[in-house]
Amino acid sequence: MATAAGVVVLVGAMAVAPNVLGSAYWFTIFTTVVINVLLASSLRTMFLIGRISLGHVGFMLVGAYTSALLSIHAGWPLWGTIPLAALVSALVGLLVAYPFLRVAGIYFAILTLLAAETVRLVAYNWKGVTGGQLGLTGIPGPGSVGVPLIGTVELGRVTGYYYLALVVVVLSLAVLYALERSDLGLKWRSIKDAEPLAQAVGVPVMAYKIANFVIACFFAGLAGALYAHAQRGLDAEATSRFGALMSMYLIVYLVVGGEGPFLGPAVGATLLTVVAQVAGFAQEYQPIVVGTLAILVTVFMPNGIVGLASEHWRRVRPPTPRTRTKEAEHAGARSS
Amino acid sequence: MTPQLIWQSFVNGFALGWLYILMALGLSLIFGITRIMQFAHGELYMLGGYVVYLLTASLHLNLFLSIILAMVVVGAFGLLLYIGLFRRYTGQMVNPIIISVGLTLILQSAVVVTFGITQRSLPRLAEGGLSLFGSPVPKDRLVVVAVALALVVALYAALKKHRYGQAMVASVQSPEGAQLQGINLKLMGGLSMFTASALAAAGGALAGSVFQLTPYMGVQPLVKGLVIIVLGGLGSVPGVVVGGIFLGLLDGLAPVVLGAGWASILPLLVVMAVLLVRPTGLWGYGR
Repeated sequence: MATAAGVVVLVGAMAVAPNVLGSAYWFTIFTTVVINVLLASSLRTMFLIGRISLGHVGFMLVGAYTSALLSIHAGWPLWGTIPLAALVSALVGLLVAYPFLRVAGIYFAILTLLAAETVRLVAYNWKGVTGGQLGLTGIPGPGSVGVPLIGTVELGRVTGYYYLALVVVVLSLAVLYALERSDLGLKWRSIKDAEPLAQAVGVPVMAYKIANFVIACFFAGLAGALYAHAQRGLDAEATSRFGALMSMYLIVYLVVGGEGPFLGPAVGATLLTVVAQVAGFAQEYQPIVVGTLAILVTVFMPNGIVGLASEHWRRVRPPTPRTRTKEAEHAGARSS
Repeated sequence: MTPQLIWQSFVNGFALGWLYILMALGLSLIFGITRIMQFAHGELYMLGGYVVYLLTASLHLNLFLSIILAMVVVGAFGLLLYIGLFRRYTGQMVNPIIISVGLTLILQSAVVVTFGITQRSLPRLAEGGLSLFGSPVPKDRLVVVAVALALVVALYAALKKHRYGQAMVASVQSPEGAQLQGINLKLMGGLSMFTASALAAAGGALAGSVFQLTPYMGVQPLVKGLVIIVLGGLGSVPGVVVGGIFLGLLDGLAPVVLGAGWASILPLLVVMAVLLVRPTGLWGYGR
């Protein structure tokens, strides 16, 4: 119950935050924030099977370019291109999943880095389709929709688009949370904790790993599609949003927030994205600050900000008997 | 697509391959001994180039002397990183990744802040060209191959003959066994980090002299070095050399023969094909 209330408060805060700060500029920034939240949270999904991806933005790129190209060339509306873009990204994930997930964890990290650089270079060099080095421009916005009680919402404007992105991201997080809490999530954790054991008791480990990877790619693609229509322009330079550096930023969000709690990456992404914007006067120093934070948190705060906060909370208020039973159940199910 | 163009791309790709080899040897040396994958290794490569830039442009030192000094400086820097940050995470996967991600962000942007984002140039390794089998070859490409080859041979000889080299090989093959023989694994870890960082610095300096210096020049060689390791060079110097030359030639020739689009997707296809057939890599040990 407390969790549900907390979520309502958080979502409410996210909905009004740019209004309070009060300019179109902040709506743009909070659009980036929610997109980063979705990216970091879907990266955490892979963490559930003990895999770390150094190329998550590669799948974001696939989603972004797919949605952009469909709406530019085929003239499709956004409610068609965005889901399809996520599906295409999931499909690309499915194509590489089997060879990638067959190898040990560190090789997986290397392969995802290679995959992301590969799709980036394809987008950078495939002049006829992606615009090559010049990139894509003139990506259409979403137009407007009629919402009961509120009236017509102009989604093409930064304010309207922010709410569209917020709704999509909140729904996606709900799905990710439900998946994690389901039987599927339990199987994922069993793979992380004891893969040979899970295999021995009959869990089809490879199928569950592929499902995990494909789901994470789906949401990365979704985030990419949201990004494409927010930006109205895309390019695939090494220093762009799709460079290797951005995948690294995502890992930092994950770690600073804490990869244990579900909302850890979301908090990390929000905090660091906003801090980066506030520190806009020292744009060049930004990566230094973010990198230093990553190292400091790893060394001194291994559970991240949210992990530290909940640890503190637990010390103040010991778990009620009900949650204790739940945890025991969870542990029992895990070891069976 | 004239024969001259193909020949040029072949020579360029071959030289490039040797830069990848320097990268991959270092990564595999560190990983072999500490089980840490140093994803910021590309930044040490880049730093090597910039240290040489400082030494040649500000102190007007000789290029080759500067390269040697840069190897020592960057090697010592790598050793410091090992002692200060990496050593405590020996054998882990996630924490070293995050540390090296943080280092990548810090080092890249420190160089952007100090030197600006514009490209810098180093003095040429050699001017002019000579004729090989009746075809022209730029001398500087030959110098790259010669220097890299000399370093690789020196490393190989040290690993085979020298006491410390043998101790490193032993630590890779069996950490427990090595410790029982009185080998100090932490010392070996530091030694591997120093050696690997020095090799990366040499690679970056050579690359900076043949091409350009940019703050992001380390990313591509890092990816290639990692790919070589996945393809199976881990623990085998000849394996790394073969893999490096193969990838270098692929990078040199594919854009000319197939076009840039296909050339960029080819390394991924090759790696996926290899992993489908042999999940442990071509020369893999079943890790």
